[in-house]
Amino acid sequence: MTRAFAVTLVIPDNEAFTAYETLARLGVPVADVRRSDIWLFDVEPDAAGSLAAHVREIETVYNPNKHRLVERATAEPEPGEVWVAAREEPPMMEIAGRKLPGVSAIRRRTAWRLFDDTGRALGPTDRDRAVATFLCNPAFQVAIQ
Amino acid sequence: MSGSVAVVVFPGTNSEDETLRALQAVGLTAELVHWSQPETLPRFDAYVLPGGFAYEDRVRSGAVAAHDEAMRTVIDAAEAGKYVLGICNGAQILAEAGLVPGTGAARRPTAAFAPNASGRFQSVHVYVKLAVAPARVPILAGIEPGAVIPAWASHGDGRLAAPAEELARIASDGHLAFVYADRDGNPVPAPNGAALDCAALTNRVGNVLAIMPHPERDAWTFQHVDGTRESARGDTSAMLAPSGGMRFFAYFAQAVRAGVAA
Repeated sequence: MTRAFAVTLVIPDNEAFTAYETLARLGVPVADVRRSDIWLFDVEPDAAGSLAAHVREIETVYNPNKHRLVERATAEPEPGEVWVAAREEPPMMEIAGRKLPGVSAIRRRTAWRLFDDTGRALGPTDRDRAVATFLCNPAFQVAIQ
Repeated sequence: MSGSVAVVVFPGTNSEDETLRALQAVGLTAELVHWSQPETLPRFDAYVLPGGFAYEDRVRSGAVAAHDEAMRTVIDAAEAGKYVLGICNGAQILAEAGLVPGTGAARRPTAAFAPNASGRFQSVHVYVKLAVAPARVPILAGIEPGAVIPAWASHGDGRLAAPAEELARIASDGHLAFVYADRDGNPVPAPNGAALDCAALTNRVGNVLAIMPHPERDAWTFQHVDGTRESARGDTSAMLAPSGGMRFFAYFAQAVRAGVAA
């Protein structure tokens, strides 16, 4: 089974802000950009229950002083979210030199959420433009919506 | 042609000074131009984007800088035939800006210098070998066929990646400017896992060159790793003598002085 975790900064996200500035310069009508790291773990069912606790122990993934860790219900993007992933990247077997019990593969995605000046998710046309012009390099990445 | 070169500095660039010194050492009139002064860029004859981590490599290596206002002038200059050289992070910027291999529209990348196959930052001394006919790279005027240049590969994202059909185009249409080699020019695998063992890409005209390893970090003997440096110990003038990487900049200088590419 695959379990998904979203790690989001609770302090100002400079990368998201730079993405916002760049997209705005490109003429995308965006008012806010939010970003999360998505970690996907292929895990044995009997090890899934303790996975979150193990993930919380890896400081390179999750630092409680600056991150929020949320386990997702599914391993798919949520509505309005775009995941950017390397097109051909073998899954990792460990993180920061650590293997996790029952975990056979680890993959990483970057999740982007774009909002307009009313606070609503950006429409699909503008979102697709943001992805095509900046957020994803199709030469080696793929956008998953 | 006066041979004036702008070394374009973005926030996070960190190799501008050694690049500037190498350019000045081969007689070019080079100066640093910061991203915040884009209005000063058009007057230059050529442009060099040095290494570093422009905009902290946010989003992707080179992606934010590729869309910076300063790049508008660089893209226009490249399309007008002026010479544009990108080293390491500068090469990543040129790929993200679509200037190399230059088979698509501006700012629409068709290839990338993606994270190394190792998943780690690597810093190793390398040699790169010219993989095309010298006429294919007018940006390096006078370079000999099969020239071998020493340099330092020092990057986390240096692996050429592109769809299979684009890689075939890069190989068949002369975009693969340099490959990794040993000191005698024999091919060796790219240390970063790059497709085609690519160390540098050029565009269709050959006036834009994106090279991942740093020739400016092997431009003087004290930076070189074979026995030359050891035998020069105690002899300041020998230690400060030009090394193989300086030849790379000498070819570039010859091109810049001659004018724009056809």
